[in-house]
Amino acid sequence: MDKIARIDMGAAGGPKVTVGPVGEYAGLGGRALTSLLIAKEVHPLCHALGAENKLVIAPGMLSGTTGSMTGRLSVGCKSPLTGTIKESNAGGQAAQVLARLGYAAVVLEGKPEGDDLYKIFINKDGIQVIVDNSLKLLDNYPVIEKLRGEYGDKVAYMSIGTAGERKLLAASIACTDPELRPTRHCGRGGVGAVMGAKRVKAIILDDAGMKMRPPVDPDKYRDANRKFVEGLRKHPVTGEGLPAYGTNVLTNVLNEAGGYPAYNFKGGQFPGSEKLSGEAQAQLEIDRGGTATHGCHRGCVIQCSGIYNDKDGHYLTKQPEYETVWSHGGHCGIDDLDTVAMLDFMDDNIGVDTIEMGVAIGVAMDAGIIEFGDREGAIRLMKEVQQGTPLGRVLGSGAAVTGKVFGVERVPVVKDQALPAYDPRAIQGIGVTYATTTQGADHTAGYAIATNILKVGGDVDPLKTEGQIELSRNLQIATAAIDSTGMCLFIAFAIMDQPETFQALLDMLGSFHGITMTGDDVVALGKKVLSAERDFNTRAGFTRHHDRLPRFFYNEPIAPHNQTFMMKDEELDEVFNW
Amino acid sequence: MKLEVALFAGLKCGNPELPCHGEREFSLEVPDGTTVRELRALLAIAPAIPLLTIVNNHHEQEEWVLKENDRVGIFPPIGGG
Repeated sequence: MDKIARIDMGAAGGPKVTVGPVGEYAGLGGRALTSLLIAKEVHPLCHALGAENKLVIAPGMLSGTTGSMTGRLSVGCKSPLTGTIKESNAGGQAAQVLARLGYAAVVLEGKPEGDDLYKIFINKDGIQVIVDNSLKLLDNYPVIEKLRGEYGDKVAYMSIGTAGERKLLAASIACTDPELRPTRHCGRGGVGAVMGAKRVKAIILDDAGMKMRPPVDPDKYRDANRKFVEGLRKHPVTGEGLPAYGTNVLTNVLNEAGGYPAYNFKGGQFPGSEKLSGEAQAQLEIDRGGTATHGCHRGCVIQCSGIYNDKDGHYLTKQPEYETVWSHGGHCGIDDLDTVAMLDFMDDNIGVDTIEMGVAIGVAMDAGIIEFGDREGAIRLMKEVQQGTPLGRVLGSGAAVTGKVFGVERVPVVKDQALPAYDPRAIQGIGVTYATTTQGADHTAGYAIATNILKVGGDVDPLKTEGQIELSRNLQIATAAIDSTGMCLFIAFAIMDQPETFQALLDMLGSFHGITMTGDDVVALGKKVLSAERDFNTRAGFTRHHDRLPRFFYNEPIAPHNQTFMMKDEELDEVFNW
Repeated sequence: MKLEVALFAGLKCGNPELPCHGEREFSLEVPDGTTVRELRALLAIAPAIPLLTIVNNHHEQEEWVLKENDRVGIFPPIGGG
C-alpha cells in the first residue's frame, strides 16, 4: 500500500487517473488516512455534493494481509447529511482486494459535467474509468448481477443503488460479501450520495496476480495472529455469543435494561421484543435452511452474520443487524422479523443506511403518515424511496429532513444524523458519545454500551453520570485507532477484557511494519485522528453547542426508569480535553 | 415468594427437580431472602459462566437479595452493536 490513486472525475476531456506515492500519509490506513486527507485537502465549507468534496476509499493498515479480522474498508468525505467530516466503514471483500492491489487509498475528486454514469475497474495493470449508462437507475442487487456477467466472480464490487444516484442523504455504498452479495454497507452519513454526485456507480476490484501483503517480520506476525485468534475464540462474546446469535442478541438485554427505544423514543421497552430477538431470529434462520453464523469477509473468525431465508426457504437477505431490527422493528412498533428482513433487503438494494432509514420511517409514523406497527405501510414507504417520489426523497434524506418537512418535534438526531438503538436517558454513557462524536450520533464511535450494559471492560452504572465522560473519551480514542487498522470493531470485546489479546494486536501491528507498538502509540493514533476531525468540524462551523442531544432527551423522562439525560453541558465539553 | 425468571441467549433451567427444567421463561417459588447467587445455583446454571443479571430493569450483583414478584433476567456474556 505504497500508492494513492486520484481520479479527477471532472477533468477536461473526461476522468483522469493519477497514481502517486503515498507521501505524507505513509503508514496510515482506514479512518486515519481518510480523516487526515479530508481535513487537509477538502475545504470545510464546501458543498458536500460539489466538486470540492473528495471521496476517499481506504483499506486498513493491516488489510490485505493474512491477519484475521482485517477486512474493514473506510470511506471518508465531508458528509452531506451532517456537514461534518465523515468516516463510514464496512466489511465485505473490498478492503482486502484493494490493499493487495497496493493502494493505500483511491480518491474520487471533482465532478463531471453531463449525465454519463461511470464504473471504475482496478486491477494489477492499472485503473480504467469507463462510461456505462446501462447501469443507470439500477439498484444494488441488479447492478452486481449485471457486472458479474462482465467481470466474473473472482473480484470484489462496490456500488451505489438508486438512492446514491439520486443523492439522497441516507445513501450508502455497498461492498460485496464473499458470496458477492451487496450486503455490507458504508452506511452512515450519506457517503453514497457523494459517490453519486461524482457519477460513479460501481468500482470493480480485481486482485488476480497479486499476493498477500508481506509483513516485515513474518514469523512474529504469524505468531501474533495465532495468539490474537486464540483470544477471540476464548472470549465468550466473540467466541460464542456473536457467532451463535449475531448482534441482534442485544434486543433482549437492552429491553430488560429499559434502554430499548420504542415508538420513536417514547418508551424504553417494546412489548414485541421477544419476537424480534436474536434468539428468535437465529432459530428462524436455521429452521428455514439459512444460517445464523456467517462471516462478512474471508479471514473473519467471529462470524457474527447469517443468512435469512424467506418462508419458502429462498435467500431474502443477510442476517439483519441489531440496529436494523430495532430501527425497522421496535422503533416503528413492528414486531415481525419477516417484515424487518424485507426492509433490510430493500435498504441494501436501494442503497440506504438501515439506521437512518428506519428512524426516518418512525418519525414519519409520529407525524401520522402511517400508523406505528403498520408493516405493509413501512414497505410501501420504502417503495416510495426506491421510486424516487417526492415523499420517498424526503424519507430517503433521513430523520432530520423528515422531521422538518412534517413538523415533528421529537426527532432523534445529533448533527442531523439519526440516533441508533440505545436510549441515552437509560444509558447515559452512550448519550455522551452521541452528543460529542465528530460523526453525528453514532454508537460505534464510542460504544459505551459495552461497559454500561454488557459489563465488558469494566462496570459503569448506566443510570448515573459518574464516570461516563472518561468512559466515552477513552472509547472514542480507542475506536478511532481500531477504525484505522482495518480490524473489525468487535475485536474490542476481547481486547478490553484480555490484556494478552490486546498485546497480540499490538504485536501484529508492530511486526507487520517492523516497529514496536505500545498501548501509548495506539492512544496517540486515536487522538491524532480525533483532533484532525475536530479541527475540520470547527472550521466547518461546528461549536460546542452542536455537541448536545435534542432537548426532548432533557425534558421527557422515559419509562421504566423515568429518567432524563442528565449530563451537564460543561461535562460534555470536557470529552476532548485530554 | 414468587419470581418471574427469564433466561436468555441459550441459558435454560438445568435443574431436573424443578418443573421449569429445560425452560427459559417461567414463574418460580423460592424461599424469602434468596439472592441472585442462590437463584443461579437453584437453576443449575453452570457456575463457570459469568452472568449478567438484570432485576426489574437494574443490573444487580450476585449477593443481591431478591423480593416477591421480582422479574429476573439472566444472560451469559453477550455483545454486538
